[in-house]
Amino acid sequence: MLPGMRNDRLLVAVAVVAGIALVAIAIVYWAEPARSLPSFFPGHEAGSGHHHTKHGIAAFFVGLACFVFAWFRTGPKRNAST
Amino acid sequence: MIVLALISYPRAILLGLLQGVSELFPVSSLGHSVILPKLLGWNIHQNDKYFITFLVATHLATALVLLGFFWHDWVRIVKGLGRSLRNREIAPDDPDAKLGWLLVVGTIPAGLLGLLLEHKLRSVFASAPSAAAFLAVNGALLYGAELLRRRAPQTEADDDARIAGQVRWRDAALVGTAQAFALIPGLSRSGATMGGGLLVGLSNKDAARFAFLLATPIIGAAAVLKLPELFGSAGDGVRGPALVGAVCSACTAYLAVRFLMRFFETRTLMPFARYCLVAGIAATVYFQV
Repeated sequence: MLPGMRNDRLLVAVAVVAGIALVAIAIVYWAEPARSLPSFFPGHEAGSGHHHTKHGIAAFFVGLACFVFAWFRTGPKRNAST
Repeated sequence: MIVLALISYPRAILLGLLQGVSELFPVSSLGHSVILPKLLGWNIHQNDKYFITFLVATHLATALVLLGFFWHDWVRIVKGLGRSLRNREIAPDDPDAKLGWLLVVGTIPAGLLGLLLEHKLRSVFASAPSAAAFLAVNGALLYGAELLRRRAPQTEADDDARIAGQVRWRDAALVGTAQAFALIPGLSRSGATMGGGLLVGLSNKDAARFAFLLATPIIGAAAVLKLPELFGSAGDGVRGPALVGAVCSACTAYLAVRFLMRFFETRTLMPFARYCLVAGIAATVYFQV
């Protein structure tokens, strides 16, 4: 295995894990009101019933971008000589 | 009803006509929609719910006009995106796919910043004097972009192939991020993206084309996200003027994009830089007196 290949797989794994985490975070933002969000989440506000829909949309799209990145990184490699 | 008194039909027509032009001209539509009512003594505040609802309708109209104007380009770009996803690579000889992903890369930072910062920035910088000062800053930025621009060798390739060849991923992210400046009333989204395009080596014409393509998903998504307000209780009493304003906005947006695509074939951002500097400084002085 080439050293570069190992880095590539690591990068893809990180992108997939980050993508899953971000989509999960998006669902939490959509499902839970601000008072029920974990205290380290941006937008957490004790006693607030507001849903941070926009935060959820932002997290979802960044997660989607991570999946797209992983999709391209694992695609067939173009031969440099062709 | 108070709402009807605040956005009457004549005001809706004037604001709609202004929105269509100033959204696409690099002169800040948000800045003008804050400064003009103050200059005319209208009791309209930028953060009033009914006014935001009105702006949603005019922005949606502008986005639809842009989508229609570049419809054939968008069809090619979306097909290119699909092709690259299917093949799991962006082929070097596929400028539509490259341009499509450049637009995605440019849209993500602007979208994120817009979603997270829009409300805070609007409430902090919503006053007319602040918008006037930032309009002058916008003029200085346009002027600076023309002075510092990189001049890339122009090729005979078609417009999209030229843009796809010239703009790197990092450039697209930077130009896209620059769009977030437009959250501050007085700074122009199209000005930031056109200026950014010049700095990465695009010609004025290609920078304008890239700016309009980048603007479509951002303006459209922002309007669609707030569409429930138009059809909800916030839209009560303002839907009629909003519809009239949207039609006026669509007409001037169409004329503006047609004009600008021809204008930038031979001209630069300098006239807009001068206008923003003069109008911004004059309005700032007027508000202080």
